[in-house]
Amino acid sequence: MHVDPFIDPHPNLTPAVLQGLGWLYLVLSVMNVFWCARVLKQDEHVRIRLFGMLGKGVEIPRAASWAIYSSILATIAFMHMSWSSAEYIGKFWLSLTPDGLIESSIDSIVANPVSYFVLSIAGTAMMIFFREWLVKPTVGWIMLNVAILFMALSMTDYDFRQIVGKPDNVPIVALLYLVGGFTWLYFFHAVENDRRLENWDGEGAIPVLNNEDNEKVLVWPDLVYAELICMIAVTTVLIAWGIVLDAPLEEPASSAKTPNPSKAPWYFLGLQEMLVYYDPWLAGVVFPTMIIGGLIAVPYIDFNKVGNGYYVFKQRAFSVITFLFGFLTLWVAMIILGTFLRGPNWNIFGIYEFWDVHKLVALNNVMLSELFWVDLVTPITGFAPEYKNSDPESVKTLMILIREAPGFIALIAYFTVLPPLMAISCLKTFFHRMGFLRYMVFTHFLLMMAALPLKMVLRWTFNLKYLVNIPEWFFNI
Amino acid sequence: MTEEKPTIEEILAMARGQDGGGEADPPADDVVAEQSGTPEQSESSPAPSPASDILAAARAQDAAGDEEPAATEKQPAPATGVSDILAAARAQDTGGDAGAAGDEEPAATEKQPAPATGVSDILAAARAQDTGGDAGAAGDDQPAAPAAETAEQPAAADSAGGERPSVQEMLQQLRQTDGATADQDQASDTTAPRPMPTRPAAAAVPVAATVAPGDLSRRSVLGAVVLAPLQLVATPFAAAWTALTAATTAMLLGTARFMFPNTLVEPSMTFKIGPPSDYPPNSVSAKFKAERGVWIVRSTMYNAQDQIVALASVCTHLGCTPNWLDGEQKFKCPCHGSGFYISGVHFEGPAPRPLERVGLKIAADGMLEVDKSKKFQDELGQWEDPASYVNA
Repeated sequence: MHVDPFIDPHPNLTPAVLQGLGWLYLVLSVMNVFWCARVLKQDEHVRIRLFGMLGKGVEIPRAASWAIYSSILATIAFMHMSWSSAEYIGKFWLSLTPDGLIESSIDSIVANPVSYFVLSIAGTAMMIFFREWLVKPTVGWIMLNVAILFMALSMTDYDFRQIVGKPDNVPIVALLYLVGGFTWLYFFHAVENDRRLENWDGEGAIPVLNNEDNEKVLVWPDLVYAELICMIAVTTVLIAWGIVLDAPLEEPASSAKTPNPSKAPWYFLGLQEMLVYYDPWLAGVVFPTMIIGGLIAVPYIDFNKVGNGYYVFKQRAFSVITFLFGFLTLWVAMIILGTFLRGPNWNIFGIYEFWDVHKLVALNNVMLSELFWVDLVTPITGFAPEYKNSDPESVKTLMILIREAPGFIALIAYFTVLPPLMAISCLKTFFHRMGFLRYMVFTHFLLMMAALPLKMVLRWTFNLKYLVNIPEWFFNI
Repeated sequence: MTEEKPTIEEILAMARGQDGGGEADPPADDVVAEQSGTPEQSESSPAPSPASDILAAARAQDAAGDEEPAATEKQPAPATGVSDILAAARAQDTGGDAGAAGDEEPAATEKQPAPATGVSDILAAARAQDTGGDAGAAGDDQPAAPAAETAEQPAAADSAGGERPSVQEMLQQLRQTDGATADQDQASDTTAPRPMPTRPAAAAVPVAATVAPGDLSRRSVLGAVVLAPLQLVATPFAAAWTALTAATTAMLLGTARFMFPNTLVEPSMTFKIGPPSDYPPNSVSAKFKAERGVWIVRSTMYNAQDQIVALASVCTHLGCTPNWLDGEQKFKCPCHGSGFYISGVHFEGPAPRPLERVGLKIAADGMLEVDKSKKFQDELGQWEDPASYVNA
């Protein structure tokens, strides 16, 4: 029952892992039994013909497939629990093999910031685009199953377990499932409301979901009972959590030794990711302020009169898309990246990849001023904005400003040219309905938000470190 | 003399009536003027429009108390608002004081220009007026009866009227006592018995107020000086504030004391790190990183000269401690992935400038000596400074 640590210090499978996975599969199986019962109650049938082997085919209840799936899961659970002795572990087949094709391909996708970021944007876009298909209960249920199966299978990998099973990260995993669940719930309501509003003749009360179940209920016993149950549930979870997972205490702090990797609390990992691309005063001060200020400003820049007070998509498409982009891809995806993918030396590692301190990632970064002067202008004109230490301050200042002029011009153009440009093109309606001031506030917040992914793209494509780099004044953008 | 506390309207009315009634009924300032022997000047104030009148009256009365009444009686001044009304009320107040004090001992009276500061003054004035009337009635043994008509003596009133003083009154008393000693010294220098129609400071302390006329001057000064500190603990309220102030002061001083510890347990900023031969070419020594926070680096990378430098082990991005990776020949920060060459120059990640050097020299005994109190930044051209490196 014991795996020798000298033979394999990083065992992918251990008896404890198999036992735990057995319970997980059992829970999943029971969940699917309930789902099966639900489907059976709806009494839908599908005709299967098995490529003509069954002649005209046999009509079977749809629940049958779920029943088969549930029994397979139960078998797998039984297998995990009963085969979890040492002699079987080597032969166990339901796991991701260490050098497997699946693992390496997934790693190569997520460990590359470009593909990771593209994937997270594409995921958000597809979720919005295919929302009507997504919110079908069967689709939602299948996606939940896939997510749990993915987690269960990945748990057979040692390095994945090290990252996900860290006491710090366990609640984050739970949180990701919550984010997914609530996003699905939003779309479920929104799609239904969209459908109802399309068929609405405009008379009477607005026929949204929220208006149906707003009958009055009593505080006692309805609310108090619900609160009591929630209270007990939360207490139970917290106690269980406190007993099962030890607090992730580390060695005493030392000013001379920084843990490698050194991670912020999970909710600040988005900020830490920003700090990779921006100077501390921007990523740590200006952007957080902008995020809070922007959220406060939302009610004031929102001119859309409809869609208030109920879940809806079509009436508030722009707001919803902007929010989902800012929240899911720029915040949650950054938290996932920071929690699970950032390893020693703040390199990006795949989820099944060993955290090698000596992993070499070439990140030779350049400044915009270097790109502009060293590569472009100076070879042609011979002029270089340089100064000597002995030069007077005025010359130094002038040279610094000339040196960084490309960055300043680009930034000023970004914030002054783009808003009017958008006002006459893609955001014409917005400009007309908002008025000048509100429109300017709105576009500047929008451009600020877009500045983060833009800078990331610049970093990945041109290795660009800073647009404006004045180390003499501690000023970088 | 009113037994009731006057309302603000009454104060206003009094203030108005005072200047307007220069002829009609003899108010306090007239009394003062008469006592100072210059009645004609006090009569010379006519009755102009109300707002400026109030102020003019107020100023005039204050001035009459302070200086020569004849000279200052005519000073006009623009009325500005409530403060003027207050000033007027107070002036009336002080005028009455002058009357009362002048009766007893003109030389001992102090000048007390009281700037109106707020509602509290109205209250104080009102209360003083009220109870002062009692005082006048009780202690009026002088023939100059008109003075007692409007006399206000808060302190005397305390003893006579037996009313509890308000916070503002206590503060006023404290202020008066402070000012009293100086003013009384001044007053006793000028031997001429000038009429000083203001609150007698001595009267603020009940003991001083009951001193018999005659050699009151010196005794009241002495009494005020001796008893002034006692006022800090005279009432539970004053004692509480005194205690709070003392405790806060002690705490602040104690905090300030922390800035000057008796002993410094941190290691000295300058320390020796052995002879240059300890450091082979193209090497990074992390020997002093944990305790001193410096790497000793010998390389030719920066300017092709074989130099030994001491690099501070603080990332120039956000201050984490990078690690030297010998295989990769770079310093790498675990927080945001900044990378630095062996020379300390940044090349990857978000760090905007090179690592900082600290001072390094060869001491008299041939040992290398690091001086962490000096730092040298490449972007400011300070790495050219000979104090920042030692040629190996």
